Amino acid sequence: MSQFSAIVKKECKDNLRDRRALFSSLSPAIFAPIFLVGLITFMLEQIQGDSEDPTEFSVIGSSYAPGLIDFLASQNTAIKEIDSTSSAKELVKSDKERVILVIKENYSDRFKSGQQNTVKIIYEGGTISDTLKHVSLLRGLINQYSSRTGLLRLQLRGIDPSIISPIRVADLDVASPAAKALSIIMYLPYLIIVTIFIGGLPLAIDTTAGEKERGTLEPLLAQPIKRSTLLYGKMTAISLFSGLSLLLLMILLYFLLPLIPFDELGLDLEIQAFQFSLMFIICLPIILFSSALLAVVGSFTKTFKEAQTYLSFMIVLPTLPIIIAQLLNAETSLLIMPIPSLAQSTLITDIIEQGTLDWVQTAVSILTTTLYAWLLARLAIFLYSREQIVN
Amino acid sequence: MIKVDQLEKAFGTVKALDGASFSADDGKITALLGPNGAGKSTCLRVLSTIIQPSAGKAFVSGFDVREEPFKVREQIGVLPHNSGIYNRLNAVENIEYYGELHGIKTDTLKERVENLLEQLQMKDFCLRPSEGYSQGQKIKVSLARALIHDPLNIMLDEPSSGLDIMATRALREIIIDLKERGKCVLFSSHIMQEVENLCEDIVIISKGIVKFSGSINELRNAAGSQDLEEAFLKITGS
Repeated sequence: MSQFSAIVKKECKDNLRDRRALFSSLSPAIFAPIFLVGLITFMLEQIQGDSEDPTEFSVIGSSYAPGLIDFLASQNTAIKEIDSTSSAKELVKSDKERVILVIKENYSDRFKSGQQNTVKIIYEGGTISDTLKHVSLLRGLINQYSSRTGLLRLQLRGIDPSIISPIRVADLDVASPAAKALSIIMYLPYLIIVTIFIGGLPLAIDTTAGEKERGTLEPLLAQPIKRSTLLYGKMTAISLFSGLSLLLLMILLYFLLPLIPFDELGLDLEIQAFQFSLMFIICLPIILFSSALLAVVGSFTKTFKEAQTYLSFMIVLPTLPIIIAQLLNAETSLLIMPIPSLAQSTLITDIIEQGTLDWVQTAVSILTTTLYAWLLARLAIFLYSREQIVN
Repeated sequence: MIKVDQLEKAFGTVKALDGASFSADDGKITALLGPNGAGKSTCLRVLSTIIQPSAGKAFVSGFDVREEPFKVREQIGVLPHNSGIYNRLNAVENIEYYGELHGIKTDTLKERVENLLEQLQMKDFCLRPSEGYSQGQKIKVSLARALIHDPLNIMLDEPSSGLDIMATRALREIIIDLKERGKCVLFSSHIMQEVENLCEDIVIISKGIVKFSGSINELRNAAGSQDLEEAFLKITGS
């Protein structure tokens, strides 16, 4: 067996036996897809549920305003009449009722004489429930009824109703609720890159700071191995763990994403095995890059604890370009392809949105990120060739 | 055969070795003796090519540690001070890893591991994970690992520290066996009795300088004392 394969074999065997490290290495790959799909499905159900569930509220004094009540009843509401003697505030406070509309006795007299009426909506805000949603729906319905009545009154008096509303605002929110839910999908590139880094992290710590802390590095360095062979072996083992993490993530996403009812929403979002393979290939240089980066940082650390501090920071690092690009609203272009992690994340977004990508950009990103990985690997070898590595 | 000539090693402003010279012959056990911080470990680390000398020369089986570190590494078996083993691998896997790094063929490797397990009496624990090993068992694994490629020169840095009487005795037998097979054994220690029972040659090092180099009897004569401890204190001047 060559020295290189002996090192890779030993590192993998050693780290596969550390169940806790293995679990923390693979946990984002396992739990993130489950969480992601669960969250989107939940949000979509909420949105779909909206149009069907009637707005629920109770009314005190419904008999005083039959016109209003008839209007409300025709608008998908569930109205409950309650005794006019009860105290509305108490009922809401004691959680017996959630939303109460209170209509005063003099409503009908004032309505007939064309005076302004006040109705009260009593509810308890600040609680985690859909109370506020019901209140705003109810308020909207009442406003609708109010303005319709107002318009009729003006028309009866021979006045053009538009005279009282010189400006009308027409809202047009193009983002449908479903689109908002799906925007979570856009976290996928970020998720993929973090998964790669976390996948290799425990092994990177074990194989750098771990060797020093256990006192296994010094006898190892007295063996006739080239430092480059030793480091390439170690970085290959880190890459294998990162790659395994990424593969697991891709497989889970492939099986879990179709569980989201995209077609029910009239959306065409299908990521096929081909697209997942593309993402995997695009991310291969990032796997090499991350393992070399972790090996470089690991060479400065002496203990597990120190390594955990520094290397955990390294997980934040690849997300910085993505965040900055979002702030600057960067679009996919050849210019950003030489920026590792940002290039990959924009390319992944392209794959999700368009199903394919620009081959020139892809080639540039693969070549540049691989080049950085190689430079970092050379740096790691240099750092391990200094005698300070054992001091 | 190990030869050290005017060896110097400075860490910043601290001179750990300040012109040390001595040699250790094949078929002999040579003790590197000295108080704490005398430069024993530094010397062994230079000889095992872990660190480079600032000045002077060191040779192992005729190979210069600075010019041909690869050749040197092939010729040495090293047990560094406080060295550890891989806890999640068992003894056999720990030893086999080093054998594979030396490029030993699988059949030969199996045979050598078997012999070492026998010789170091490791059979009863060699397939358990190393996590639960005693200090003595760990030293045995480290030693077997250092001997897997049958090196000509063996360097042991305070091998008996942390060992009980039985383990110390077993270690002594192994060292004697290595000597009888014509190996050059160089080990560092600060325990007089151990040295007296085991070694032909003694090198006393203090503050980075070799204060004495010769046989035990020569040491007694030079110091004018039959008691080795007394002689040691006189030579080191403390």
